[in-house]
Amino acid sequence: MIVLVCALVTISVLFYIFYLPGKLHVGPEKTRLVYLRERKEVVYENLRDLNFEYKAGKFPDSDYQAMKSSLEEEAAAILAEIAHLEEATISPLRGSGKGARV
Amino acid sequence: MSQIGSFALLLALALSAYSFLAGLFALARPGPGSDRLGETARRAGIAVFAVVFLAALVLVISAFQDDFSIAYIFHHSNRDLPIPYKFAVLWSGQEGSLLFWSLLLSAYGLVLRLRHKTDSRLFAHASVIIAAVQVFFLLLLNFAAHPFAVMQGTLPADGNGLNPLLQYPEMVIHPPMLYLGYVGFTVPFAFALGALAMRYPGEKWIHITRRWTMVTWGFLTCGVFLGAHWAYSVLGWGGYWGWDPVENASFMPWLTGTAFLHSVMMQEKRGMLKVWNVWLIFVTFMLSIFGTFLTRSGVVSSVHAFAQSSIGDWFVGFLAIILATCILFYVKNRSHLQSEHRLESLVSRESSFLFNNLLFVLFCFTVLWGTLFPILSEWVQGHKITVGPPFYNHVTIPVILLLLLLTAVGPLLAWRNTSLESLKRNFLWPAFGAALVGILMIVCGVRPWKDISYFYALMAAMLATLVTLTVISEFVRGGRVISRHTGQGLLASMAHLWRRNTRRYGGYIVHFGVAVVVTGILGTPFNREAEKEMGYGDHMTIGPYTLVCQSYTEEDNPNYSNQWAIINVFRGSRQITTMFPERRFYKASQQTQTIPQIHPTFKEDLFLVRDLYLVYEGVNPETGRPIIKAHLNPLVMWIWIGALVMIFGTITALVPNAVPARVTAPARIEPEPVAART
Repeated sequence: MIVLVCALVTISVLFYIFYLPGKLHVGPEKTRLVYLRERKEVVYENLRDLNFEYKAGKFPDSDYQAMKSSLEEEAAAILAEIAHLEEATISPLRGSGKGARV
Repeated sequence: MSQIGSFALLLALALSAYSFLAGLFALARPGPGSDRLGETARRAGIAVFAVVFLAALVLVISAFQDDFSIAYIFHHSNRDLPIPYKFAVLWSGQEGSLLFWSLLLSAYGLVLRLRHKTDSRLFAHASVIIAAVQVFFLLLLNFAAHPFAVMQGTLPADGNGLNPLLQYPEMVIHPPMLYLGYVGFTVPFAFALGALAMRYPGEKWIHITRRWTMVTWGFLTCGVFLGAHWAYSVLGWGGYWGWDPVENASFMPWLTGTAFLHSVMMQEKRGMLKVWNVWLIFVTFMLSIFGTFLTRSGVVSSVHAFAQSSIGDWFVGFLAIILATCILFYVKNRSHLQSEHRLESLVSRESSFLFNNLLFVLFCFTVLWGTLFPILSEWVQGHKITVGPPFYNHVTIPVILLLLLLTAVGPLLAWRNTSLESLKRNFLWPAFGAALVGILMIVCGVRPWKDISYFYALMAAMLATLVTLTVISEFVRGGRVISRHTGQGLLASMAHLWRRNTRRYGGYIVHFGVAVVVTGILGTPFNREAEKEMGYGDHMTIGPYTLVCQSYTEEDNPNYSNQWAIINVFRGSRQITTMFPERRFYKASQQTQTIPQIHPTFKEDLFLVRDLYLVYEGVNPETGRPIIKAHLNPLVMWIWIGALVMIFGTITALVPNAVPARVTAPARIEPEPVAART
């Protein structure tokens, strides 16, 4: 009985592990472009938080303007790099059909 | 049955080893076949859960069947053990608790591996690391602490029984909570190490592990407070925290885990403190392993150390391997962890997080030093020198007060820089409220200049008020903005506000819970105690209460025999309650256990609630009369209420935001020309 239970468990487990019908899910490799898009969203979220806290009366106008322009500069820099990378990705694709990895 | 359990453990070890090696090979040699190999590794990791679950199930069934042919069941159970404690047998001894560790790890691994599509390469790295940790625990279970080892010679008719200290309802849930916390830190550790090993771009691994870390932290918080409550309710010394090495073992990862929960926000928001965060989670995981080692190796003496064994060498070796692996990947890939921004001002949200982290780490180091001091002193001087509560209180109370100050100040500071005008706007009213509480306490008779403990109590009360008022001001200010836009009432707007950003406002609720806990702790300097031998009708006075012994008696049941007294409690001429302090003698284990009685005086004292705490100390052999010890502990109830608020805050912080973040920018931003950037 014990041998039967152990054998059954082993066979079930091995079947589950090694029987792989169909196509496997392989996720894409993360590029700098994807990272920059994530970063852009974070900076936008920071801007939204800042706006909300300003409306809540936590900061005087001068502080708000300084923080906002600093965040906007950061966002602009990220957008510029995204634009640059997207352009670099599209150009070789047009020529050779390959995606650029950065 | 034991053969099935033993086989399951061996199979689990083989599967974990395969999951680790095949996963590692698939990651190291990416190619056409590696995806299939990686998938088999992932599936092997999933299968480990089923097989370890089978082993745990066999052990629990054996406890229910009173199968004393298994040595573990003989040592930790007996026939008359009540049913809920038969479940607790699984984690009441060393071998079982290691099996439970392994089961929880495989459960966490199961969830992680099922969610692999979120980011399959990062998850594959994390899965390999979890498999490596699992291999260690299964090696221990198979070769050093086997839960299915069989008894030699004649089979005993009954078992030794469960440790009486563990025969308390909370003990059925305290260890699982603590272990869920300890084991759970493996997941953020695995992601952090995996992200470092693969030079994962960006902070998304933090986003992925945020909920894991919060859940884990919530379990550990729950476990730590349940442990404190158990110590208060069972050990009979009138206190809840004695800086016992095993208490410290659970507290240290909690401290670094709390620091991590705060500092990752800096990495998410500003791309800062990357090296710090990675090492913080590495250290938190190592402290979790260290905590298991302290509890299970018997290297330190503690009321909580329920095992004595030689598995310490295994843990020391494992800790050395973890440290070496972390250092290796850090040295190899440290260039990947460069900060994107620098600290711009000392008065900013970033610096408050930084100071908060430094204080948490200092706190943790103090606790670690005090915990290891007996071992270190034995190495150096040949005999153990134990460090007691005065050492911990002397060092940690100022740190706790500073942390409380930062808890109040931090959320009101702006990122990057905070001006004086901003400080005035945010702190004027909370600071005024805190000062008012301080003045009120002095008026009521607290003299901070007479005793340092009164000074600490006064500061703690003021800072707890400051935290509470800053939390309220955050909710009210935010609620008003929502109210202006939606026309809802203030309360509805505050609920709306929480739903928009559950993490932030759930965090504020946790901060409020911390303030409530501190309120409970600050009653300590005002504790009183009295002890008296009490015959029929004898009186004892403590504070405004008079205790009158109505009777005392003895009883017997299959599990234990007990002695108990009936004490009527009067305030003035009015009887407010009857209490039954008890002392038990457990037959199977031949051990004695006090069962204190606690009466919180909510009805009489409202917010200044006191615990009337009675202990049946024993019987005077000459007179045959019981000796009763009474403690009057003010405000302790607030510790447990504060802990519940903290848990509630953690749960609310885990709820997904009702309004999904929009990707649209709040202001029009023009990209800089690329050439203009360096």
